[in-house]
Amino acid sequence: MRVASDIGGTFTDLAYLDEATGRVGMTKVSTTPADFAEAVVGTLRKAEVDVPRTSFFVHGSTVIINALTERKGAVTALITTQGFRDVLEIGRANRPDIYNMSYTKPKPFVPRYLRREVHERVNYKGEELTPLNEADVRQAVERILAEGAQAIAVCFLHSYANPSHEIECGEIVNQVAPDIPLTLSHQITQEWREYERTSTAVLNSYVHPIAREYLDQLERDLVAMGMDRRVLHVMQSNGGSATFESGKRFPINLVESGPVAGVIGAAHIGDLIGEANVISLDIGGTTAKTSLVEKGTPKITTEYKIEQRRDTAGYPILAPTVDIVEIGAGGGSIAWIDRAGALRVGPVSAGAAPGPACYGWGGDQPTVTDANVLAGRINPAYFLGGEIPLNVQRAEAAMRPIADAFHLSIEDAAMGVIRIADANMINALKLVSVRRGYDPRDFVLIAFGGGGAMHAGALMRELRIKKTLIPTEPAVFSAWGMLMTDLRRDYIRTLITRTDNVNPARLNTIYAELEAQALRDLTAEGVPEGDMDFRRFADMRYAGQEHTVKVRLPAGAIDDRAMPDINERFHALHEQTYTFRLETPVELVNYHLTAVGRVKKPEFRKLDGRGGVLADSRKGARRVNFDELGFAEAAIYERERLPVGAVVKGPAVVEEPASTTVVFPDQKLTRDEFGFLHIEMVG
Amino acid sequence: MAKARPRKARMVGKSEFDPFTLEIIREGLVAIGDEMFVTMQRTSMSTIIYEVLDYAVGLTDAQGRLITQGNGVTLFLGTLDFGVRSVLDKHGAANLKPGDIYITNDPYSGGGTHLSDVSILAPIFYNGRLVAFAANKGHWTEVGGMAAGSWTTNSTEVFQEGLQFPCIKLFDQGEPVQSLLDIIRANVRTPDMSIGDMYAQVASMRIAERRFREMCDKYGVDLVLRGIEALLDHGEELTRQELKKLPDGEYEAVDTIDDDGIGNGPFEVRVKVTIDGDRIVCDFTGSHAQVPGPVNCARTGLYSAARAVLMALTDPSIPASDGCFRALEVICPEGTIFTCRRPAPVSTYWETMLYAADLICKAMAPVLPGRLPAGHFLSVCGTIVAGLHPDTGQLFLLVEPQAGGWGAGADKDGENGLVCVGDGETYVIPVEVCETRYGVLVDQFALDITEGGSGKSRGGRGLVRDYRITGDEAWFTGTFGRFKYLPWGMQGGAQGSRNYTQILFADGRPPEIFGKAAQFHLEKGDVARLITGTGGGYGNALERAVEKVQSDVKNGYITLQEAEKSYGVVLHATTLEVEELTDGRKT
Repeated sequence: MRVASDIGGTFTDLAYLDEATGRVGMTKVSTTPADFAEAVVGTLRKAEVDVPRTSFFVHGSTVIINALTERKGAVTALITTQGFRDVLEIGRANRPDIYNMSYTKPKPFVPRYLRREVHERVNYKGEELTPLNEADVRQAVERILAEGAQAIAVCFLHSYANPSHEIECGEIVNQVAPDIPLTLSHQITQEWREYERTSTAVLNSYVHPIAREYLDQLERDLVAMGMDRRVLHVMQSNGGSATFESGKRFPINLVESGPVAGVIGAAHIGDLIGEANVISLDIGGTTAKTSLVEKGTPKITTEYKIEQRRDTAGYPILAPTVDIVEIGAGGGSIAWIDRAGALRVGPVSAGAAPGPACYGWGGDQPTVTDANVLAGRINPAYFLGGEIPLNVQRAEAAMRPIADAFHLSIEDAAMGVIRIADANMINALKLVSVRRGYDPRDFVLIAFGGGGAMHAGALMRELRIKKTLIPTEPAVFSAWGMLMTDLRRDYIRTLITRTDNVNPARLNTIYAELEAQALRDLTAEGVPEGDMDFRRFADMRYAGQEHTVKVRLPAGAIDDRAMPDINERFHALHEQTYTFRLETPVELVNYHLTAVGRVKKPEFRKLDGRGGVLADSRKGARRVNFDELGFAEAAIYERERLPVGAVVKGPAVVEEPASTTVVFPDQKLTRDEFGFLHIEMVG
Repeated sequence: MAKARPRKARMVGKSEFDPFTLEIIREGLVAIGDEMFVTMQRTSMSTIIYEVLDYAVGLTDAQGRLITQGNGVTLFLGTLDFGVRSVLDKHGAANLKPGDIYITNDPYSGGGTHLSDVSILAPIFYNGRLVAFAANKGHWTEVGGMAAGSWTTNSTEVFQEGLQFPCIKLFDQGEPVQSLLDIIRANVRTPDMSIGDMYAQVASMRIAERRFREMCDKYGVDLVLRGIEALLDHGEELTRQELKKLPDGEYEAVDTIDDDGIGNGPFEVRVKVTIDGDRIVCDFTGSHAQVPGPVNCARTGLYSAARAVLMALTDPSIPASDGCFRALEVICPEGTIFTCRRPAPVSTYWETMLYAADLICKAMAPVLPGRLPAGHFLSVCGTIVAGLHPDTGQLFLLVEPQAGGWGAGADKDGENGLVCVGDGETYVIPVEVCETRYGVLVDQFALDITEGGSGKSRGGRGLVRDYRITGDEAWFTGTFGRFKYLPWGMQGGAQGSRNYTQILFADGRPPEIFGKAAQFHLEKGDVARLITGTGGGYGNALERAVEKVQSDVKNGYITLQEAEKSYGVVLHATTLEVEELTDGRKT
């Protein structure tokens, strides 16, 4: 039994797969913020999972990101190099809202009086200039404790080049305050840039007590239900899982644990149907999130920031994170008219409460969902399988001011709102594809979330994508995706070297060291050596540049003959991304090892050759707005009753309780042997 | 929801185009600007571009009207469109061909500022028709001239300040003009870096051209062009609406520029701002004549400053475009320190341009206390450290702005350590990057706690950054304005503190302090200590809540002495309990 659990703001989802029977099940209950574990336990009971038989449990949640954004973490202190306690407050000193003279910087997570300096210094080559002053550290810790700090972070200059002072400092802190949560910056990242590394260490300590408490509680509850402690895993931002122990020590790696699961799920679905290049699209109530998977591998960024917007700098986290573009366009996004009379959609959302106007829960602002109801795309009588009857009159009333302002019919106004929401989503899809040198036509779109299937048909037409796939139960796809995760750790080390004078032996040594460390870590997590998969990457650039591109390196010993190949891989990737290549020498900057502990994947049972005729799944027909193709009478089908392999010709709508798939007149849809829906362009 | 109705003729009516397409084209244009910006950053060769983001990118229409602009640097807002217009004026639209790219850095016309800021401009064609221009202005670390890093504080004519590119062809129908590249290579100290940055600029042009043409493919070129027209009108409409909310009247401000770097000064500068319904006039008549040293600013800089402050006065979130600027008129006679003439030296022009922006803020702040805070440290505090890297023996050039303290507002304390008004999405260079790339050791990077900026709302703190020279020798150039004339306070708040450099000598000589210096010689172990000012305070310091004063002392934002002297609160030295309130506070 493989079990995945995903705590979201509103619902806690569960997905499980019984390896014996091949049965996949999903369920959800309301999230229980007072004790998050309660809802997880609730889903297990509701689904009647045979808990003691669980061979792998993986858990993702928004608890960590919420603790950060709601500022509910621990009182945290920082110990840093003499002369640098203000690094955390100065940040990079930028003003993103450039014309705003009253710009307010993000407030540091550690107030100045809890930032203590100690004498020590290492230079950029890792050489010690000043030894660590032990008395300084003891005094700092005592002062910090006296001020009521509940967690400590340590970040020293150049610790990426030589972490020995941080380690020494950690030992002293442990002597003085054995129980206090402690983060040493090099434990999370060995990349340069002191502000970004300090921020990462501080945020890790800030959420440390909360993460530990909640994972401990969850562990107790699950073990009490008969689960084996050794099968407990958390989903990390890098798209892989790690043990609960690791999650408790480095909770900052869990910040994006929910959203990335959808990307991993999309990558695996691609694998299942033989498509290595996919773009994932997750449309929820408030946002749309998209990410690109090339050759089965999601893109990873190490320049992640929380709370960064066009007008504010945010806080950097140097943890490898699946590169997801998120925009404020979801089902609840509100349409509005700006002061000069232009129509806008989002980023403000009606959320779950009051929700779109058509819910009848008091919302009176027109949302994307209201527009979809008015366009005939959503069946008002079958929303969440009929649980919420939608009120079309309220949707009309909410849309009327927009129609009036532009002298349009309600229908045209609704279509305009959809078109703008679609355009915003297209810009996000372009951001992960064309703007990084990828042609969307070479990719399969995998759309999920409550709204993915509704908008995918229009988006693929616009981007000329040939095929879109809608997975089973798209609304709880993130939990499903977690079922597919492997254990994963990333190791990154900074050492700048030119490729024209690099000694290949040095490269071999670095990767050997990283691989030895990975071997130790994964062995400790119980992964047999035969299931380990190490992938080498190097962040490379032209000498003189600062920013790098991530180049996949071959495995095995690197010798002189390998260097021209490595150089060429870099030149080609740079040109693909930025339109040009140079004759300039090339530098290696970061050595990045991805260590994956392969976990046995569930084998999907194919649907049992469900025959039947298409006509049996047809529920009726209604008038649907297909934008520039105009209104058309669309056949309505029930997804669960569609026969495998039968072809549904557009215009059509395929309904299921938590989602609606719109098939345009120039598209066709089939249900494959796994139950996935394929939308393809005709001709 | 806003009840505002659009003007029917322009935005509605199916025969024209629908409001949705307008929004979609708007977002598409902003996205093009963003992509140009990122391309430039990620491919450039110098810290001043990739860390500091000292550049701007954008699109204009075929007439050179600004459509969209992505800025790292706030005050590049007049540079792109004027640059395009100079291409049109000099070469004529009929003579431009697909694949042509022009280069200019003429300070006195064509969007020029100083020679280091190089504009690259490319016409965009669609089906043989000129439809737009892509534009990019970036600070090259080196353009030659009398001093390493090119800009300096002691030049006396533009010919000393580097290579001049008088709006000439860089690429001819897709092919680089090799003779020009050869001239550049021969005349700059770091040819790989300068040429590398030039290619980064060209890459951003190509991206812009590709995306703009894609947009025309999708929506049809006529619709895109009409959409742009409507967008400019939309920007104008938003700007005028905001201006109407300001009280009509004339608002004046006067200030003083320290000196010109070679011993002349001080210089008085002034503005009269007139708000008249939905228009604004900024008249700088009466400001000092152009000066012998390189602090002169030319008209592009003056316009850029006025435009940027216009955005601040109206709504900073309106996308800046030519439409926004229709409500603005800038008046200033020729030959002033704001409108200098060839061949006046201009290499630190920004010191004076910033005064133009600050003057308008100072004039308008009393009317907009929530939006415009008291005076900030104002100067870019630009520095160059040049020398040979002790490990590689190669020439290094550390060129960067410093961050400092911002002024307090009616409802907020000033920000600590933020780049000045002239810089925006501009980053300070990390200490670890700095020590690796350049032959320096940074002994501290911290808030500078000094007297100044007290008020009911407190001015933000400036910074102190120490560069210890690790090679045998190095040269330091710095231009720190507001060394003599300090950031202004508001409503009884105290003025801020000064910007300066202090040199600490390894051989024990007494330290030297200055605001500006050119190629100051340093030896191994000497320290250049860069200190930026605290911003001005707002309101009477004696009215600041006692708990805030306690918290400020606890956090070390003010000293115990300043708590007593400026804020009238006497605190116990260790417990920080209130021991006494001074007489001033009691009354």
